[in-house]
Amino acid sequence: MIRRLVVLALLVGGAVLLEPLRAPTEGVIAPRSLFLFGILLLTADTFGALTHDAGLPRLVGYLLAGLALGPSVTAIVPPGVLQDLAMMKRLAVGLIGLLAGAELRAADLRLRHRAIFWILTLQVLAVMAAVWAALLLTHQWVPFLVDLSTSSLVFVALLFAATLAVNSPMVTLAMLTETGARGPLARTTLGVVLVADVVVILLFTAAFSLAQGSLGGAPAGAPSSLFQLLREVLGSICAGLLVGGVVSLYLRFVRHELVVFAVVVVFATAAAAQALQFELLLSLLVAGFFVENLAPVRAQPLVETLHHMAVPVFVIFFAMAGAELDVASFASLWPVILLLAVVRGAAILGGSRAGARIGGAEPVVAREIWTGLVSQAGVALGLATIIAERLPGLGRAMQVLIVGIIAVNESVGPVLFRRGLSRAGEIIVP
Amino acid sequence: MQTTLAALAVLTAGYILAYLLFDRLRDRYGYVGGAEYVLLGVLLGPHVTRLLDAGRVQDLTPIVSLAIGWLGLLLGTYFRLPTLALLSPDHVRIAFAEAVATFAAGLGALLLLFRYLADHTWADAAVQAVTLAAVATLSSPAAVDAFVDRARVRSALLPVLQLTARIDALIGVVAFGLILAILHRGDVAPDIRPPTATEWAVINLAVGVASGVLFHLFLGPRDGETESGGASRLFVALAGAIVIASGASYYLNLSPLYTNLVLGFILANSGAAHREVTRLLLATERPVYLALLVFAGAAWSPESVDLLFLAPAFVLVRLAARFFGGRVAGELVAPPELRTPRLARGLLAQGGLAVAMAVNYTQVRPDLNPRLILTATLLSVLLFEAVAGREGAALVESLEADAVGAGIGSSSSGTAAGVT
Repeated sequence: MIRRLVVLALLVGGAVLLEPLRAPTEGVIAPRSLFLFGILLLTADTFGALTHDAGLPRLVGYLLAGLALGPSVTAIVPPGVLQDLAMMKRLAVGLIGLLAGAELRAADLRLRHRAIFWILTLQVLAVMAAVWAALLLTHQWVPFLVDLSTSSLVFVALLFAATLAVNSPMVTLAMLTETGARGPLARTTLGVVLVADVVVILLFTAAFSLAQGSLGGAPAGAPSSLFQLLREVLGSICAGLLVGGVVSLYLRFVRHELVVFAVVVVFATAAAAQALQFELLLSLLVAGFFVENLAPVRAQPLVETLHHMAVPVFVIFFAMAGAELDVASFASLWPVILLLAVVRGAAILGGSRAGARIGGAEPVVAREIWTGLVSQAGVALGLATIIAERLPGLGRAMQVLIVGIIAVNESVGPVLFRRGLSRAGEIIVP
Repeated sequence: MQTTLAALAVLTAGYILAYLLFDRLRDRYGYVGGAEYVLLGVLLGPHVTRLLDAGRVQDLTPIVSLAIGWLGLLLGTYFRLPTLALLSPDHVRIAFAEAVATFAAGLGALLLLFRYLADHTWADAAVQAVTLAAVATLSSPAAVDAFVDRARVRSALLPVLQLTARIDALIGVVAFGLILAILHRGDVAPDIRPPTATEWAVINLAVGVASGVLFHLFLGPRDGETESGGASRLFVALAGAIVIASGASYYLNLSPLYTNLVLGFILANSGAAHREVTRLLLATERPVYLALLVFAGAAWSPESVDLLFLAPAFVLVRLAARFFGGRVAGELVAPPELRTPRLARGLLAQGGLAVAMAVNYTQVRPDLNPRLILTATLLSVLLFEAVAGREGAALVESLEADAVGAGIGSSSSGTAAGVT
């Protein structure tokens, strides 16, 4: 404990001491970004070790470290640096997507398809219904909903509910990597979360189109919105298949320098995703799934390489996610945030238990699956950003509330999932 | 953002293509080099295909600083004191004599060139001359190791060459790091006194030492970790230490090569993880080095005509300084059984450190002929790599011939001088 505190003191002290030795400079990437990235990386891992010692998941420590160093608290890592380092976060998202897709085995899906289908369907429906109803009932206490017409309120609440139906492939995979869990609960949760990622993006896009139409933007169900929906999802799937094909060819004929290759695949896909407007995570999920399950190659070397890279990647992703949390902006909304987080959690509990029983899942899965579905992180944050960018005015305010709820789910979810895995007896690495 | 992503994607794709193509050549023809990656970078860069324009190359600077630091760290891990203590004092004397003589000869000539032919002030001439003298002193440990591995006899000269290549690198990197610290460029915050030259040198050293201490404190006792957890933490600790050391150097306008050399030295000489650290670094050396070569090629711009003569002049200076250093060490300093006039022939290749140093110079001193330094270095690396393989092979052949001769002699004398 003392050693870790000394490390933290050295890291923070070093960052503060060196700061005045260079005058601020202009540049595409500020010179101090690299240095502060190192500080963030080691601080996050140290916080992770501290939370692990306290019986909590490491990634809660990563988030806390990011929060502590980020603009909300000490501002040692200012917003400009986070912007410079967005590339690293994108790399982390891509690598996690590729790994998550490769971890999704077709055999597992076949074996558990009934359970996955019912859990996914009922938990998504339950969350959407519960959050939608809760928001309609409490809209007087949410400043940006007060003045909306009834039809707008209904559709905006639906969009809100769709966003909160998203789970977190990142947290799930991070927890499975950290604990080494590979049992029925782990496999079912992974299956539900990854398939849900595709389903909820479709639901979100439909809800977004309805909300936009009700607010006087493009009319609901307009061809342009539908085209956009189709383009983004189909584009992601096509891009994923293409990337999967390239990865398969590389694994078949080359199989050298897999770390470099994985990095270039992610960067190339990220560049294409930005230019052609498809979803990076979804496309790399598809690519990973294709390589593992459909291509006539052994994906094991790539999966092993990605596993070796996983821990630093998770540290980067969650530390940066923590640093990006804006505590001050949602301080005034905390009663609504807590209420909606509790309603969402209760809906997940009810929906997933019912789904697991109908789908014939093992009793331990029925009992604990909800703990793996509470977390929200990257995908949900991405959707919140889309809302903020594409619904001017109202979107920004919605983003603040959504990010507040995500922050709660992101912090509580990993703790719950670790307990669930522990109670299911699936934790291999304590 | 998108341009950076695209630049990285293009850079790495090009690297993989070159890797595949030239690995075949290496397997088939025994080709060992790196020049092709520089050429690939030039082809991708702003002067040919423009896939990587100047802005995109600029965007990659922090990542390149990281790669430069990585190479410095690897060099630092060579110098493990318990291993160095086992070396023959004669070998150490020869190695240091060769490195210092080469550096001094190169520095003298280059200082005169920059001061009187290029008409720079003494301070500006010193920065450029020390940088190029450091580049001239470098000899590639990997190239030396390659022909030593192929040698069929164990001549006593071969370990001397291997050690000399590493001491060359040490002298070069330290000289380069110190000149950038002592003649430091860059403003500090308005409310503090600018550090003196000595203070900058100490700060540079302190960053490396602090990063090393941090690494050990961070890693802590490794019992209780699972094997995979331990490896992951080691990777995070190492990556964090390198990022901090390189990032701090880049931020302070100092050399990440030197800072990470210090860090590597500390890692090699303290704690239980030094073997794993070296293994991890060696496993990643090749991709880092080759990516750096591609970047150097992409960052290259032709120098203005009036200074262009300095690039070929540098090649000649390096050749002369190398042979001067070789003669001093091989004939004046070496004991009789190790005496040789051919020492320099095994030390011609410059390797990735030279490119890293030149690229680092362009980042730290963009105000002082960066294109000239990079052009001269790349020209030198390309030319010397073209002949280094042949010269190394010729040296090994001559050592084999000596050994055969000594073997004939040994039938009467019973000893084979110079052959271990």
